[in-house]
Amino acid sequence: MKNILSIGHNELRLFMKSRTALLWLFVLPLAFVALMARFSFGDGRSSNRFPPVLIENADTGFLGNVFIDTLSAQGLWRIDPEKDTKNKPIRTIRVPADFTTRVLARQPSNVELVPVPGSEDAQGDALVIEARLVRALVALNSHLLETSRQGTQWPPDEQALRTALTRPALVALDSKFAGRDPVPSGVGFSLPGNLVYFLTMNLLIFGAATVAATRRSGVLRRLLTLPVRRGELIAGQLYGLWLLGAVQIAFLLLIGKLVFHLNLGANTPGVVLVLLVYAWVAAAIGILIGSLLDSHDRIVGVCVLASILMAALGGCWFPMELVPDVLRTAGHCVPTAWALDALHRLISFGGSLGDVLRPLSVLAAFGAAATAAASRWFRV
Amino acid sequence: MPPLLQIDHLAKAYGPVRAVQDISFSVRPGEIYGLLGPNGAGKTTTISMVSGLLVPDGGSISIAGRPLAADPQAAKRLMGVVPQELALYEELSAAENLEFWGRLAGLDTKTARSRTAEILAALTLSDRARDPVKTFSGGMKRRVNLGCALLHRPKLILLDEPTVGIDPQARLNILEFVRSLRADGVGVLYTTHYLEEAESLCDRIGIVDHGRMHAEGTLRELQERLGGQRLFVLEGQWTGAEPDTWPGLRQHYRVLQHTDRQLVVAALDERDPADCLRELLALPVRAENVTLKRPSLNDVFLHLTGRDLRE
Repeated sequence: MKNILSIGHNELRLFMKSRTALLWLFVLPLAFVALMARFSFGDGRSSNRFPPVLIENADTGFLGNVFIDTLSAQGLWRIDPEKDTKNKPIRTIRVPADFTTRVLARQPSNVELVPVPGSEDAQGDALVIEARLVRALVALNSHLLETSRQGTQWPPDEQALRTALTRPALVALDSKFAGRDPVPSGVGFSLPGNLVYFLTMNLLIFGAATVAATRRSGVLRRLLTLPVRRGELIAGQLYGLWLLGAVQIAFLLLIGKLVFHLNLGANTPGVVLVLLVYAWVAAAIGILIGSLLDSHDRIVGVCVLASILMAALGGCWFPMELVPDVLRTAGHCVPTAWALDALHRLISFGGSLGDVLRPLSVLAAFGAAATAAASRWFRV
Repeated sequence: MPPLLQIDHLAKAYGPVRAVQDISFSVRPGEIYGLLGPNGAGKTTTISMVSGLLVPDGGSISIAGRPLAADPQAAKRLMGVVPQELALYEELSAAENLEFWGRLAGLDTKTARSRTAEILAALTLSDRARDPVKTFSGGMKRRVNLGCALLHRPKLILLDEPTVGIDPQARLNILEFVRSLRADGVGVLYTTHYLEEAESLCDRIGIVDHGRMHAEGTLRELQERLGGQRLFVLEGQWTGAEPDTWPGLRQHYRVLQHTDRQLVVAALDERDPADCLRELLALPVRAENVTLKRPSLNDVFLHLTGRDLRE
């Protein structure tokens, strides 16, 4: 394990010493993201599955707390402004002090939805919050009604109401876009698209070129004269490239958040996981190409061609939702399409990690196959 | 104490080409063993098998008394390999290169760092320790290449033509450093096609050509294989001459080389050189110039293989 880490960290250090690598890792992807986000259609806002809200609960009874739990169950992300200073809410929901008293007295009570200053451009998420607030209110009323019909007393106590909340819903509505997903747009499309494209190109070219160059110089052979096993050497090379991908992922996601205000919200771990798995796939393909080819010119040619092909087929430059079904099917022969399926699901369509298990599994299969092939044909 | 390296009947073929055939020799502690031969003789193939990069087709290799195949990783910890090519990271500094190779040889970071400073000082590279290797001269790169194999203080060092392509001064520096390794009790297997290096550096020499070991021994032992201590180089018009037909020549001399302009013969007995000279000047073909000299390794090589190592 120590050998793998040493080789991997050394590879990363070598990449970071190259000015060309820095240009392709940081500068060009950023320019492409900005350019494509500007000319991409749509408002560019991502539909966060858990839009952040601030809840001011002034209710003196128990119903306010039950209502807040209902809001969470509907998919709203409650921000505590004292503990969470990083995530900024875009709406405030105010529960009045007499909420419990009035509702249980069968009188109307006003729950307020107020915009947070500075969140004017988050219209997409605001709509989601509003819809989920309405759904939470309907759910609470339904549970109150259910409790009153099943119980013997009115008003119901908190325990009876919470018991009703835990019962399975008799009727559920699952709404989806008919046939196809909506088209991702703006930075929500351009950032994952370009991130996947540049990951592909950089890891293929740098990976293949490095393997071939170190083979030509005799470094790979020399490494095997030390107490380093062949498997450790391959894993070390793979790990170094994967680290390079991780650096690019971290940089672009950070820039996406700070500069382009891409809101990944609670899906950040899922997005990072998908990208890291994809970085493994691309790194393994890079090592495979470097194992099969020797000439630098030929390697660059093949890698650029492969990257362009994978980017175009996989939907890095234009959404797959726009292309005919035949092309969509063909596109899924390459891992880029699966990566972007998962990323759009997480970033633009409000999916959770559970919703992207299939593309993640396919990506992992691509990674395993590419790693096995790279190991089989790895030459020193 | 067993030899640091013991090779017995080693063989390796690439398809129909027999790169190494039935080679046997040993390297003892504190000894520099030279493997002398032209390019393609099988030297690098032999070193590759010893360093575990190639699997022999036949024969055996033992490192410090234990078969290499039994535990290659343990054997590699005892060895330091300096390849013929400059197998370095040119973008990294000399110190970064040495530390990296040291860590992979099993050292912790702190030890690798301290030994890097020691070795750079010994190789007189301390003042350029932080400079990228790509800015170094050929001789300096060769020294870094050598240093990278020494971090873990190996008992056996394999040097595959470590002075190829560098200027005479840089070569002398490296040879001096290799001598200092011998003084520390390290065993060195040194391959070269430079006769002068083998003559001046090595305690014992193995002469290889076409994958075969033709002879081995100390320089004196190899010289004595020519029968006497004297060689006569006769220059003249030897085109069409047939020395085998000349009366008496074969009884007293061994013909080592016969070209259009040169005839090299070794005296087989201890007669007075003046007598030999008189006999040679009386040959049917007139010699324009005659030189008397002690046999060199090249003469031995010529005698054993029928060709000049300098060709």
